[in-house]
Amino acid sequence: MIRVESITISEFRGIRDLTLDFNGRSYAVCGPNGTGKSAVVDALEFALTGNVSRLSGEGRGEVSLKHHGPHVDTRNDPDRARVTAKVTISSLSKTVTVDRSLKAPAKAQVTPSDPAVLEVLRQVSAHPEVVLSRRELIRYILATPGKRAEEVQALLHLDQVEKVRIGLQKIANNCEKQVAPLATTASQARENLLRAVGMSKLTKETLLASANTQRAILNLPTLADLTESTSIKEGMAAPGTAKPQRIPKAQALADIGATRQALGEIASAPTTKRVAEIADDLNSLTDDPAVAGGVKREAFYTTGIELIEAAACPFCDTPWDLGELKMHVQSKIDHLEEVSRKRTAAETKIAPLIAALRKVQASINTLVGYAGLATPPVVIKEAHDYSTNCGIAIDRLDAFLPLAKTIKVLKRVPIVPQTVLDDIGELEKAIVALPEPTKQDSAREWLTVAQERLNVWRNAIRKHEVAIEQAQRARQVSDIYGTTSDKVLEGIYAAVEEDFETLYAFVNRDDEEKFTAKLIPSLGKLGFDVDFYGRGFFPPGAYHSEGHQDSMGLCLYLALMRYIQGSGFTFAVLDDVLMSVDTSHRREVCGLLKREFPNTQFIMTTHDPIWLRHMRTERLITGRSAVQFRSWTVDQGPSRWDDRDVWEEIDEHLRQNDVRAAAALLRHYLEYTSAELCHRLRAPVEFRADGRYQLGELLPAAVKQLRALHRRAKDAANSWNQRAVIEQVNARESDLAKRTKQANEDQWQVNAAVHFNSWDNLASKDFEPVVRAFQALLCGFTCSDCGEYLHVSPDRETAESLRCECGNTNINLREKSV
Amino acid sequence: MTASPTTEGTAEVPAQVFEKFLQALEDAGVSVELVARLRKTLLKDKTFTDRALKEAVLAEERLL
Repeated sequence: MIRVESITISEFRGIRDLTLDFNGRSYAVCGPNGTGKSAVVDALEFALTGNVSRLSGEGRGEVSLKHHGPHVDTRNDPDRARVTAKVTISSLSKTVTVDRSLKAPAKAQVTPSDPAVLEVLRQVSAHPEVVLSRRELIRYILATPGKRAEEVQALLHLDQVEKVRIGLQKIANNCEKQVAPLATTASQARENLLRAVGMSKLTKETLLASANTQRAILNLPTLADLTESTSIKEGMAAPGTAKPQRIPKAQALADIGATRQALGEIASAPTTKRVAEIADDLNSLTDDPAVAGGVKREAFYTTGIELIEAAACPFCDTPWDLGELKMHVQSKIDHLEEVSRKRTAAETKIAPLIAALRKVQASINTLVGYAGLATPPVVIKEAHDYSTNCGIAIDRLDAFLPLAKTIKVLKRVPIVPQTVLDDIGELEKAIVALPEPTKQDSAREWLTVAQERLNVWRNAIRKHEVAIEQAQRARQVSDIYGTTSDKVLEGIYAAVEEDFETLYAFVNRDDEEKFTAKLIPSLGKLGFDVDFYGRGFFPPGAYHSEGHQDSMGLCLYLALMRYIQGSGFTFAVLDDVLMSVDTSHRREVCGLLKREFPNTQFIMTTHDPIWLRHMRTERLITGRSAVQFRSWTVDQGPSRWDDRDVWEEIDEHLRQNDVRAAAALLRHYLEYTSAELCHRLRAPVEFRADGRYQLGELLPAAVKQLRALHRRAKDAANSWNQRAVIEQVNARESDLAKRTKQANEDQWQVNAAVHFNSWDNLASKDFEPVVRAFQALLCGFTCSDCGEYLHVSPDRETAESLRCECGNTNINLREKSV
Repeated sequence: MTASPTTEGTAEVPAQVFEKFLQALEDAGVSVELVARLRKTLLKDKTFTDRALKEAVLAEERLL
């Protein structure tokens, strides 16, 4: 999508004022720890996304971008904390400037700001994962399967996919949960209807026949058919509004009988026995301390067992037997699974109780209706309250947790207060005392109640059917989503897995060329096993070294990014991620980035100069595409090893008559540069295992090697009969001799230069010639056109040429073969 | 080296999943209206709340 041309950082994190010109190419920021490398990374992330991940999000405590993003000395002036990035968008052939201050991080000033540009920048800001730190790298490798799935899903932006999956599952579960209560309601409505019509079995024919019998008594026409829209009381005169509604005596007495039966069932010995059994089950669960936080504990134990690796507790260092501990934790996990099974079994046993309570509740509610119609009204408050309590009990049993409350409610289920039965008895007396209806009234009541209950039953049936249809549909949608999303994700993981294998095998081709890996997605987890030298598949942390694990993290990240962004993967920041890759494979990592991602601009930080050399050797970075930070101060921010900066700084020390500071800086710079020159010229230096070479070992070796290369170049030119080249090399040779002589002009100064520890005894005017002499000497190693130090190419095997980055200096070193 | 590059720009993996899902619903004979509602919710409105999903999945039944 983009490439970054340059970045200007002002008063941001530890940086006061810094501009880096990337020129759209890969770039390295090198320097010791604490010199400001990560501040550059933060600035890049801030410019592109408006955020700095290391200052925001989980686990950052009281640190925030708003308060701790600006340089500490300008923390009260966030507008001065500003990052400006010049960005090229290749697809639009445009270069745009993104300017963002901490005063309004979300509002970048973009120039030009046409919609197409803003859309690309929006896409970039939606992918903060273009910045990868080592801290983040390892999370793909050593994480638990669940955590890894989260991390990878975040990288792939799969949170939406998962959210929809969970949402659809929830809808399906809720729909299915509604079916059972509606089935109970429909069943009760059917029983009520059967009771009203005095039948034991409900068929269309028998109901129609009974209805016509009653209609005949009222001289109403016979109904030919009974359909969903048929009213069995059709043609019956509506009761006058002034006439109070009558209690259907026979029906009411039947309903009272049914209520007593329902209450009898609740208070029966089998129900009491069932309640006792369930209470025992629930008590056994309550006695288990693992139940309350069962789910959380299961996750904790599962994570724990995956992380048990060391031979001692990471908290208190108490030694433990690894095998025994794992068995112990596994038994806890197994136990929780047992708890889950027990819960399901208990809920299954509770279901009939809930149905019985619903039946009682509905029956009493019918009686409450009759009581209100009586003259004078019969008060059955106890029965009414009991019905309400049945509803509360249903909700509690349905909720299941907390267990203590459920058990308390459960134990009261079989207890039917006598006052409830007394209320029902009072109502029965009042109804029995009603005069017997005439045959016509009885027929009218029969048809009225039957029609009402037929309507209720039809409605209940319809709701139940709709609930079933809803549940089936919701489950179908949820299942199809699960299947298709799994398929898509499996496809993604398979592609990423294959790419990961190839990338890792390239880096480790010396000993793991046939490396394979398995990304195994299942139920929100992402397993990750890797082949270990053909001995089988194991978690990455099992046998591979830390360096190999870091390689895996980087390769997995690159494979994921290549999948996500495809050809749009044109920019990434690798913050110290190369550091712990094992030393024997660092060069291969550089080669991998160069070969496999030729269109990606990598901005890389490292505190290891060897890495920087590998990047140059593999041509991952070229020319001036690197900055070397040498130190950092809170007042100045990072200072860098830059020719112009160093000589200006030395001159400034001399102006201040601070020879000690000038000498220290010159010595330090010469040490750094001499090492670089020896590397570039392939100068032989006596090997030191600790790698701590002194200036006296390096600079003479570099000078000697350049002289040798000059001689070799002349021999080669002579073999090819290239007189002009001989003259050119002669000129360079003479120039180098002059510069070397200049550096050696004053014997006592030369001695001082040899010992390199007496410079600070000199006065400024005495030391300045030394500075100029060494500045001139270093110029002898550069190309006069591009100013870059010359290097031998290739960097291994037979030397072929002495050349510079721009190519204007390119001196052949190979003689014509005879 | 085998990669599975997507086109230039941000690859919307969720959008890929949703498209495949909607296609599978159509293939399974789920009502056209339901698929249209889910398409609007997932791809156009990009709202993934339980409420929005429920509205899309159960809208027809809620009219009854």
